[in-house]
Amino acid sequence: LPEFPLSCSLSPMRGPLLAAARGVMGGAGGPLALTIRAKLTAALQPTHLEVRDDSPRHGGPPGAETHFGVLVVSGRFAGLPPLQRHRLVHEALRAELAGPLHALQIIARTPQQWQSDPRAPSAPPCLGGSKRERRRG
Amino acid sequence: MSAAVRTGWRIGAAAALRGRAGRPLSQAAGEGGGAESGGGSGSREAVERLVREHPVVVFMKGSPAQPLCGFSNAVVQILRLHGVEDYRAHDVLQDPDLRQGIKNYSNWPTIPQVYLNGEFVGGCDILLQMHQNGDLVEELKKLGIRSALLDKEKDQEKK
Repeated sequence: LPEFPLSCSLSPMRGPLLAAARGVMGGAGGPLALTIRAKLTAALQPTHLEVRDDSPRHGGPPGAETHFGVLVVSGRFAGLPPLQRHRLVHEALRAELAGPLHALQIIARTPQQWQSDPRAPSAPPCLGGSKRERRRG
Repeated sequence: MSAAVRTGWRIGAAAALRGRAGRPLSQAAGEGGGAESGGGSGSREAVERLVREHPVVVFMKGSPAQPLCGFSNAVVQILRLHGVEDYRAHDVLQDPDLRQGIKNYSNWPTIPQVYLNGEFVGGCDILLQMHQNGDLVEELKKLGIRSALLDKEKDQEKK
């Protein structure tokens, strides 16, 4: 398959999600981040879970907690197509998605898939959305 | 798995088998989404008409010419890569009733939303996955749309 030649921010990079998450994880302890982590853990018993607060990349101040990315590795996803995997994640975070959680990037893999390919694309850049902000460079 | 998650899964799975979006949980619980009544632009009937009006329908923020959200832009870019320029795009920022109505219809909480042949396939993450694993080329083929990437590969083979 051809490479995914979108803007650089969408190119699949090796490990940046993990690196960024590790860097952020120590500090990603805002209340919503903790809630997301707790609810996904309870609902899906993940073998690996990363919760990334992308809010600063969407114009919010640090700690705004409006845009998140989650990487969930769980055996619960086995046999499920991506749509159903994402629905499981949505269901676990239903209250948050009805409230402060404005956007949610989801990567949902089984443990086998994660072992064979521990890479994940980064989130696309914000283009302003409802706030109609200036386009990020 | 909690009962709520199991229920959501069954509804989602059943909906996928039926080939259309299932009844949203909020409706099942008796709560109104506010956009279901009458013939408003967010009603099920109105949304149903929109998702069926073209093989490829996208609900997004902004327009294909000027997306206003990175995730919506990703969908536009992916379709463009496959040579799909003729599709219906609806800017939910212009219509709050539609914005809520489409979420109720698909029982999916976020925008963008991609519909192929009237069936909800997912948002930006799923479309990206389908693009990377070849599924999107196959789904477009089922709709009678030949992905531009097939021709690109053919040209490369000739060289």
